[in-house]
Amino acid sequence: MLLRSSLGAFALLATLLLAFGVQAHDESKYPNWEGKWNRDPGPPRYDPSKPPRRGQQPPLTPEYQKIWEASLADQAAGGQGNDTTHRCIPVGMPRQATSGFPIEIIVTTKATYILFESSFASPRKIHTDGRDWPKEVEPTFAGYSIGKWLDTDGDGRFDTLEVETRHMKGPRQVDNSGLPLHEDNKTIVKERLSFNKTNPDTITNEVTTIDNAFTRPWTVMKNYRRMQGELAEDNCNESNNHVDIGGQIYYLSADGYLMPAKKGQQPPDLRYFSQAQ
Amino acid sequence: MSYRRLISATALAGVLLAAFTAVRADDSKYPNLKGQWNTLSPRGSFDPDKPPGRGTLAPLTEEYKAIYEANVKDQLAGGHGTEPSYMCLPPGMPRAMIAYESMEVVVTSETTYILIDHIHDHRRIHTDGRPWPAEIEPSFRGHSIGKWIDEGNTGRFNVLEVETRGFKGPRAYDTSGLPLHSDNKTVVKERIYQDKADPNILYDEITTIDSALTRPWKVTRKYQRDPNPFPWWREVVCTENNQHVRIGEENYMIGADGLLMPAKKGQVPPDLRYFRQGDATGATK
Repeated sequence: MLLRSSLGAFALLATLLLAFGVQAHDESKYPNWEGKWNRDPGPPRYDPSKPPRRGQQPPLTPEYQKIWEASLADQAAGGQGNDTTHRCIPVGMPRQATSGFPIEIIVTTKATYILFESSFASPRKIHTDGRDWPKEVEPTFAGYSIGKWLDTDGDGRFDTLEVETRHMKGPRQVDNSGLPLHEDNKTIVKERLSFNKTNPDTITNEVTTIDNAFTRPWTVMKNYRRMQGELAEDNCNESNNHVDIGGQIYYLSADGYLMPAKKGQQPPDLRYFSQAQ
Repeated sequence: MSYRRLISATALAGVLLAAFTAVRADDSKYPNLKGQWNTLSPRGSFDPDKPPGRGTLAPLTEEYKAIYEANVKDQLAGGHGTEPSYMCLPPGMPRAMIAYESMEVVVTSETTYILIDHIHDHRRIHTDGRPWPAEIEPSFRGHSIGKWIDEGNTGRFNVLEVETRGFKGPRAYDTSGLPLHSDNKTVVKERIYQDKADPNILYDEITTIDSALTRPWKVTRKYQRDPNPFPWWREVVCTENNQHVRIGEENYMIGADGLLMPAKKGQVPPDLRYFRQGDATGATK
């Protein structure tokens, strides 16, 4: 009887521990990054220190320089080039680190989450629980991220989050010019998000992209500024006026008709309709 | 000089204090909702205790019963009726809590986040005691204010009560197209809590108050925690493989060969008036 009571009490204790067993930790060790953030003003681009498009001077291999030139030419003719955002699919990493739209950061001991106002980006979960890289990872646009908090000045508080992201899928580009990443999707993105102690409303992110479309790792510095308010809900699909039919991109006119996106563009093949309109 | 230094030091201390403000002072007061939660309730029907479609017997007004019946008829003919998510629009509330994909609950003292990577339907539930704002930018997920309750005076929070308002549409309860009112004045009240005997079971009692209903409609959905300490979180991108195309007021399909095709029998092709005459190919003239 006593044994059964003890077992019962043990089971109850175990249940309660599981239910409320949140690891005790010192939240004051982590920077207060809560709230809404956005990048510095200016056109969205991978390297904020340089002008957009050709001004970026990317370290592309000759093969991918040609692919980018073709993208720029297609965009100049009214097309979308390599840029996939007309399909409302996520831009993926490292482009979503540009924060072309407001972000929200949630810091917990086991993970740091980055949520995005726009559906152009999948939410990021940066694991900070000390895990190793998993043996198999299903590729995603956002990739799989492992991070580590650092106390770089030894004051007993974390001030820097180092992140490595792998296992992306494509197609991805680093910006809206269609500046391409390699189709092998072996991209590795290393980030160093640093907290500015004299201005807690800014975060600096040193982003290094290692990709087979580049001749060398490409490192840029991005700044995020804290904003008032909270993330809105920006759904690309709500107002997307691009239509992809058979690999051709068309526009939807304001009055709801299909229209060409390029001069002289052929209309879609309507062979599956039994009657003409 | 030393006075100025003191002021500077005080200012710096203030900045640092703000910078490292601990917002989650006592995690042990909150239930452990960490991990991956997956629905145990059927996804096809908002009310898990009833069959999907007409079997749900939602308390619709006569006007919305007629809208729903027209929707059923359209879906039977190959259309989508009043079901908006075929174009990858977020399901919004209360449908988001069907949890089509795995759910993560992130609890902080000021906010509880419900993250469901489905169609941009993450929820932010404010628990910082804020009042309802004078104006709310309408959204599919709505604006949520919650309160943690210690039911039974256990010394720990065990129920999250949530109210959600400020919606936009179109929204439906489930894939059957069961509609919410177009005035979008929906109010959703929830009670979220763990099973007392099994902390790996989570319940959400959802009460929907909507002008298309004759009375508040309450359903209870159930979720189970994945025991895997490192569960896989899927990235779901509705737009990646969406075969539906909306042109004007018509919905079409994209065939496996990439060509446009009708979604309904006898459907007319899109009007190509903005293309040069004689360019059209394919359709039987």
